[in-house]
Amino acid sequence: MTTMTVDSNTSPQSSQEATQPVADISSNGLDSSRDYRQTVGKIEVANTKMSMRDVNVSYGDKQAVFGVDLDIAKNEVIAMIGPSGCGKSTFLRCMNRMNDTIEGCVVSGSLKLDDQDIYDPKLDVVPLRARVGMVFQKPNPFPKSIYDNVAYGPQIHGLANSKVELDEIVENSLRKAGLWNEAKDRLDQPGTGLSGGQQQRLCIARTIAVSPEVILMDEPCSALDPIATARIEELIDELSANFTIAIVTHSMQQAARVSHRTAYFHLGYLVEIGDTDDIFTNPKHRLTEDYITGRFG
Amino acid sequence: MSRSTIDIVNRNLAKRYAKEKRFRLFGLVSILAGLAALCFLMVTIVSTGWGAFTQSYIQLTLDLDPEVLSISDPQDDDQWSYANYTGVIKKSLRERFPDVTSRRDKKRLYRIVSPGAGYQVNQLMQDRSLLGQTVTVWLPADDDVDSVIKGHIDRSLPENERRVSDKKLSLIDELVNSGQLKRKFNNIFFTAGDSSEPEQAGIKGAMLGSFFTLIVALLLSFPIGVAAAIYLEEFAPKNAWTDFIEVNINNLAAVPSIVFGLLGLAVFLNWFGLPRSVPLVGGIVLTLMTLPTIIISSRVALKSVPPSIREAALGLGASKMQTIFDHVLPLALPGMLTGGIIGMAQALGETAPLLMIGMVAFIVDIPGSFTDPATVLPVQIFLWSDSPERAFVERTSGAIMVLLMFLILMNSIAVLLRKRFERRW
Amino acid sequence: MPTKKSSQHISQRYDDELAAVKSQLFEMGGIVEKQVTDAIKALLEVDSELAKRVVIDDNRINDMEVAVDEDCGLILARRQPAARDLRLVLTIIKTTTDLERIGDEARKMAKQAITLAEEGKAPRGYVEIRHIGENVANMLSQSLDCFVRQDVELALKVAQEDKAVDLEYASAIREMMTYMMEDPRSISRVMSIMWSLRALERIGDHARNIAEHVIYLVKGDDVRHVGLKQMAKTVHDE
Repeated sequence: MTTMTVDSNTSPQSSQEATQPVADISSNGLDSSRDYRQTVGKIEVANTKMSMRDVNVSYGDKQAVFGVDLDIAKNEVIAMIGPSGCGKSTFLRCMNRMNDTIEGCVVSGSLKLDDQDIYDPKLDVVPLRARVGMVFQKPNPFPKSIYDNVAYGPQIHGLANSKVELDEIVENSLRKAGLWNEAKDRLDQPGTGLSGGQQQRLCIARTIAVSPEVILMDEPCSALDPIATARIEELIDELSANFTIAIVTHSMQQAARVSHRTAYFHLGYLVEIGDTDDIFTNPKHRLTEDYITGRFG
Repeated sequence: MSRSTIDIVNRNLAKRYAKEKRFRLFGLVSILAGLAALCFLMVTIVSTGWGAFTQSYIQLTLDLDPEVLSISDPQDDDQWSYANYTGVIKKSLRERFPDVTSRRDKKRLYRIVSPGAGYQVNQLMQDRSLLGQTVTVWLPADDDVDSVIKGHIDRSLPENERRVSDKKLSLIDELVNSGQLKRKFNNIFFTAGDSSEPEQAGIKGAMLGSFFTLIVALLLSFPIGVAAAIYLEEFAPKNAWTDFIEVNINNLAAVPSIVFGLLGLAVFLNWFGLPRSVPLVGGIVLTLMTLPTIIISSRVALKSVPPSIREAALGLGASKMQTIFDHVLPLALPGMLTGGIIGMAQALGETAPLLMIGMVAFIVDIPGSFTDPATVLPVQIFLWSDSPERAFVERTSGAIMVLLMFLILMNSIAVLLRKRFERRW
Repeated sequence: MPTKKSSQHISQRYDDELAAVKSQLFEMGGIVEKQVTDAIKALLEVDSELAKRVVIDDNRINDMEVAVDEDCGLILARRQPAARDLRLVLTIIKTTTDLERIGDEARKMAKQAITLAEEGKAPRGYVEIRHIGENVANMLSQSLDCFVRQDVELALKVAQEDKAVDLEYASAIREMMTYMMEDPRSISRVMSIMWSLRALERIGDHARNIAEHVIYLVKGDDVRHVGLKQMAKTVHDE
């Protein structure tokens, strides 16, 4: 989404509103003339874990995220929804600097984790990523044994001083990820031999093995069947007791089911942020409403 | 409406199937043509080369008389070196055929045993305690005799048009009848170096030369190629310079191999002053030649590692180095090895660059190290193919068979490696 | 991108389903409205034939309630509506219940009309019936109107009118009671009038409920049990 596209898209829309001031939408209390470039809803939260202000991301000359302000509270599950290409994944990947690996990706603005600037040039990304873990869209276990998959993170960060400690971390992580009972007898077998849902839980176990504070999930269930999805959602619910979770999802129902707050992105702008309960029954912005009611298109 | 659609579809159906059938037929014919060409090649090589693996041997009873050998003092090493080993053979032949008396016939008689057979006696007499004893040995027959035994010489031709005279034929027949002339497995072919006498010529020297050359090439090109590929693929910034390097690597892969030979001649021999005809230089030149192949295949192998694996490792907080060495490289290694082996197979079959650095010389001695003058299998084949003797033609094909065997072996290992380490993500 | 058609869903059938259930509801509303005016008319004109028809027609309303609820259930199961659509479906479900109750009240009035036709006209109360009946019928029609037009101002007006109806009802009941004390012979007939007044008052309450549902549908805030002042604030986005 370039700036050009955004502008060219807004002008016909505003002119249309000028010619049709009383649509039946406007009569239902939603402010249709409200510009989506201004975020609706309360950005600040009590007990802030991460705080993002005026975040802009561009790939080369294409800007993907425009001036997003967002706070994430400790131990909350925040869902980011929006149509494809709305910048939600890009924004998520800024939070542990996974965008660094992408050539020509420029991030500006302030992103803070517990008052520490994530994009501080002096900051080392290795410990940052140990604090802000990530689970990806496609289950991507290493082609190694289940044990090695989980043990890898603690090993590279030197979290375990002995084999016994490492065993303990692996077991705890697998237990937290709800995979222990299925995997305990086959720890030496390759992680790639598990089913899709199990693989994704293995990836979650691998992520929580390094005890991160925040877990970013980029459409973690989009490759899974409904039963596996339900198990992951249940897991997210359990994990929210100990971790702060930011999840990007294409499934609005999923966002409604798992999250405490929901952020709606549109063309790189954060359009609306609010309690999930409110967003799904009474959204304030017309674009949000159109999207979650299936009117987009 | 739908009825008419179905009618149209049905009308064209036969045409469509006929088209498909024709296409399949074309494919089949081309595959058969390819197979036929391959079969023809294999059949000609095998049919001419098969004989190289057997050789006619003559059984002789040798009286290792010190006097005939002209060894007066057994302690004198020089006398052992210059002893008249051929004399022993000649004496034995005279005793075997006492009715051959004329000087001309005697000369012919001596010619049924390989002129180089004295070397075999020499080898035999490394055990010096045999001096003065009588031993029965099988000595290689002359290549003409071998040709007669293998039926390459037409006995119905008049004597003056034949390579072998009537007298010689009768001698051969007599030996065959008494069971003293037999075809046996050709040990010499696998244990000797080159020789001007075909029955004394072997491929061991060339095989060892190839072996040393390939070891040098492998040790140099694989680490360098893999390191270059990893740097270019994972670390190098994407800019005009790396693009330029990439284009040039691809170009290098297409450069005719003789150019590398010229480069080797100019740089390694003339400038660095390395010795001529040695596997070390051959290996370096072949390294230059195979490097682009290995770099390209290694980069492809690295590229084929799914980005999700890198993301997973990076997302856990692994450094770039850890990501590459813990996850990416193990997954890419089978592909790299395959590329390396195929590069080596290519190097094994290469002749042109080695000609330029003198590995084409006639070298009888079997090389023992990287700096001994040596030749390689394909060059040996090239050399032999120039020789007119029937036995050399045979040996040329035999050597080709050995070379092909090695190539097939190496390619099979490559396929095996790929199959064995292929992983599903 | 929102376009001119942004009020429509991507799925045309979803739109059709919502439109169908809405029009069913409005049809039901129309029938209920007629039932109420007919019941009042039967009572005032002592028309037992009309009253009987009202009693019989109530079954139609009951059937329609079941049908609308079933359609709403299907939409919930199939489409998982969210936001405005969710509120719409919820509002429809609640409104049908209110409409069905209004139908029941109309039937009760019709039954009293039949009783009065048999026992003879009541001596008092017709003025009150006419007056409150007119108000309530008006409220009902306005509440349905505000649903159709999604007009929250009108809905607020309905809620305010209900307050007035309640006051009038209370004073009418006081008057009836006084009369009953004066003339105990007419107690049974006056009771019929009181039952009818009671039914009208209930209809007013249900109309107010419908108006509140409409405010929830449009504004997204529940205005039940909050008082008129708060309701007005919600309507005016304060």
